Amino acid sequence: MHPLMKKLLSIFAISIVTYGALHAQSNFTMTYSMGFASGDLADFISQPSFRGATIEFRKMVNPNIGVGMTFGWNTFYEEISRESYTAGSSTLTGKQFRYSNNFPILLAGDYYLSPGEKFNPFVGLGIGTIYTRRNTDMNLYTVEQEAWNFALQPEVGFLYSLTDGAAIIVAGRFNQGFKAGNELDSAQSYFTLNVGFSFANN
Amino acid sequence: MPVVLLSCYPAGPDYVEDLDVTYTTFDNKFDFQTRSTYAMPDRIVVDVEIDDGDTTYIYMKDVFADPILAAIDDNLQSLGWEKVDISEQPDMLVTPAGIKSTTYFYSYWYDWWYGGWYGGYWGWYYPPYYTVSSYTTGSMIVTMSDPNVDDNSPIGESQTAWVMAANGLFTGNYDLGRVTKAIDEAFDQSPYLKLN
Repeated sequence: MHPLMKKLLSIFAISIVTYGALHAQSNFTMTYSMGFASGDLADFISQPSFRGATIEFRKMVNPNIGVGMTFGWNTFYEEISRESYTAGSSTLTGKQFRYSNNFPILLAGDYYLSPGEKFNPFVGLGIGTIYTRRNTDMNLYTVEQEAWNFALQPEVGFLYSLTDGAAIIVAGRFNQGFKAGNELDSAQSYFTLNVGFSFANN
Repeated sequence: MPVVLLSCYPAGPDYVEDLDVTYTTFDNKFDFQTRSTYAMPDRIVVDVEIDDGDTTYIYMKDVFADPILAAIDDNLQSLGWEKVDISEQPDMLVTPAGIKSTTYFYSYWYDWWYGGWYGGYWGWYYPPYYTVSSYTTGSMIVTMSDPNVDDNSPIGESQTAWVMAANGLFTGNYDLGRVTKAIDEAFDQSPYLKLN
């Protein structure tokens, strides 16, 4: 099994278990997440990512405020056409295949403006970390660099309720990583547009 | 959902050519501009056999070697170098070589059946099975050195002034275009070889 899958599966399992423990007045959300790189990540991969997802849960502390966790995975990929890279008196020409797997793991709080209404906008902030694994493949080799960036994730979005317990969620988020002196030195940040379903558990 | 995610994991290289790389490096204290002639053997070494102290070179078949040697000649001559015979004391020796290298690796697969009854036993499972695979890479290496400066070396040999190495996955197709393209790229990477 792909190591990333194992990671995601364990995160998934933890969230289900934790979700069960929370039970009262909570909601569970799954979204499809499109990513748009910024900063150093955009310099590495300029293509947007259409491979991503999040799993989130929130416990409602009152009708307006929910706190919980957000787990995400966004995979950025770009094929760089044959180019030459020079260092000192050496030059290497070849195609590069670039990958960036980004996993935000955040404590999150949301403020809901119209609880109980069909259309319920919210604003929120996540705080935690983004784990990044960057691979640069050339020939039969890969250069792998990792980073654990401290991260903030401001978000705005809305819930559109379908039935008593289920709602469509649309959210825009900025995953702001902060430079942390890892193998991969620069902060990794990106914007996401998330669309999914949220299930309330009363 | 993780299964869905895995199935849309991004693709990588599609063609063997996507993995081809060309590398060059040179001695930045070496003055190419004061040299102008070169000699090159008319065959390409692909292997060396050492039997009881006797060394035998194995050469690439002419049908493959000739277009490769021609590509090196074309590039050097268009940069202003003049080809001479080895007996005419060339400024530089150009030595091409081809190398093939095979890497073996194994992987295993562990299938099991929950509650299955294949083979008549509930919960019977397959033992893991192993497969051995290999890939072979081919490298084209060309070096340039000045045979007249061996006195400057503690071991009586000339240092290499320029090296190119092209590496790619070896296929059974013998696509010489991949090799000649790499040779063109190598000389494109080396503007300091230009004399004219």
